[in-house]
Amino acid sequence: MSERNLNYPSFFGMWREWIVRSEQQWSESMSKLLKDEATAGVLSRQLDEARMMQKMFAEMMQSYLATVNLPSRLDLQWLDERMGRVEDGLGAVQAQLVQLRDAVVKARRATPDDAGVIRLPRTRRAPTERPR
Amino acid sequence: MNPAAPANEGRWPDPIAQALWRLGVEREDFAQLTGALGASAKETIFAQGTLKLHHYRPLTDELYRVPVLVVTSLVNQPTILDLAPGQSIVENLLRKGFDVYLIEWGRPRAEHQDLALEDYVLDRIPACIARVREDCGEPDVSIIGYCIGGLLATMYAALHSDGPLKNLVCMAVPVNSDGLESLKTWMGSHFDEESVIDLYGNVPADLVQNALRMLRPFGRLAGAMNLLNNLDNPEFLQSNLRLGKWEADNIAFPAAAFRQMVNDFLRGNKLIRGTWTIGGRRVDASSVRVPFVHLLAEDDHITPSASSRDLVRLIGSVDKREIIIKGGHVGLVAGRGAEKRMWPALEAWLAERSV
Repeated sequence: MSERNLNYPSFFGMWREWIVRSEQQWSESMSKLLKDEATAGVLSRQLDEARMMQKMFAEMMQSYLATVNLPSRLDLQWLDERMGRVEDGLGAVQAQLVQLRDAVVKARRATPDDAGVIRLPRTRRAPTERPR
Repeated sequence: MNPAAPANEGRWPDPIAQALWRLGVEREDFAQLTGALGASAKETIFAQGTLKLHHYRPLTDELYRVPVLVVTSLVNQPTILDLAPGQSIVENLLRKGFDVYLIEWGRPRAEHQDLALEDYVLDRIPACIARVREDCGEPDVSIIGYCIGGLLATMYAALHSDGPLKNLVCMAVPVNSDGLESLKTWMGSHFDEESVIDLYGNVPADLVQNALRMLRPFGRLAGAMNLLNNLDNPEFLQSNLRLGKWEADNIAFPAAAFRQMVNDFLRGNKLIRGTWTIGGRRVDASSVRVPFVHLLAEDDHITPSASSRDLVRLIGSVDKREIIIKGGHVGLVAGRGAEKRMWPALEAWLAERSV
């Protein structure tokens, strides 16, 4: 056992090992229970209620956070949306630059090497076809 | 021997750096330990809304004639296919001489609530294929689809049977919702998808992720214990933390596509029944005639065999095959066993059909 091995035989190590080995069985039993129509119905109703509560709480917190001059989750979502738009815009510019570069090479205004375009022979053969 | 303990240089002691040093890992924090995900060299050659089509820089001097387009899932980051050097199916394909392109769907925003499967199958995938053909100059393209990405790819193949598709590779693709017992029950008649859509717009990533976690309720606990049991194995630690980092960064489900998946796929099981229509056209998997392989994981709890094994039967190709590989849904493509089991099987099948 190496010096760095923190898992010398210990009660906790054996306990963890037992959990790993038993997990599949526990998960299967729990899944069976969750698969039951009645359980699924109850869970679904509870989730609906939780979602509505979360919505009400979020709306309440939003006005409170605005009062204390702090950003709410919604503000962060707006920021995320704006950053997403910027990211998409950058992606579009990047793609257009690549197309422009390829057009320049195609028009023989630059060599592929100068433009950083990699054009490799597409002649590779499958391992089974290659001469031994 | 452990290297010298990390110096504090007047700073507060850093417990993470100390812990990593004790584990024999010479890093300052966990972010450094996992590194950036999806770091293989690539350039974006096409963009449409949130979609980006990437072309990876080849790693060999000679390529197979037919390029490969990877179609990823709508709700997970594509980095699962390119986690890190040595743990990347994309890198492996590049090392074996394939010319690899990948579709990154991106994160839908409120304005993308109406994105439906039609938009992906009839507009975006064909646009990407056209751009790949233009970029590489080859008339045909192979597609590799993973999970829901494979479902989209299969739909594309079925609706474009006279198109430029050369080979279709599916990995862990669910097609029969009767095999997804838990999801089907949870999203059955009790589940009101419209109230979720009204409340959130696009279906939040957390909601999808939690539903997937409930498929194996104690999986995370066992994963944590397994991690603790392997703390003296830096490779295991790194690989596990990378997967954790990927798993924590999911993508919301566009509302319209989610509605179709719940109604047409989970409840209606329309692909199996042959009644699924996309843009007014029936999706008939038997019209797929190109060489086809379906790679399945033996212990896949997300796409269990009962939900995926029918695909090979539905496909109309003469050259078709199913390969079952040891491992789970994620382990199939990125686990430590993928390198030994799945990648060689994929290469062997695809190489001789890519010349």
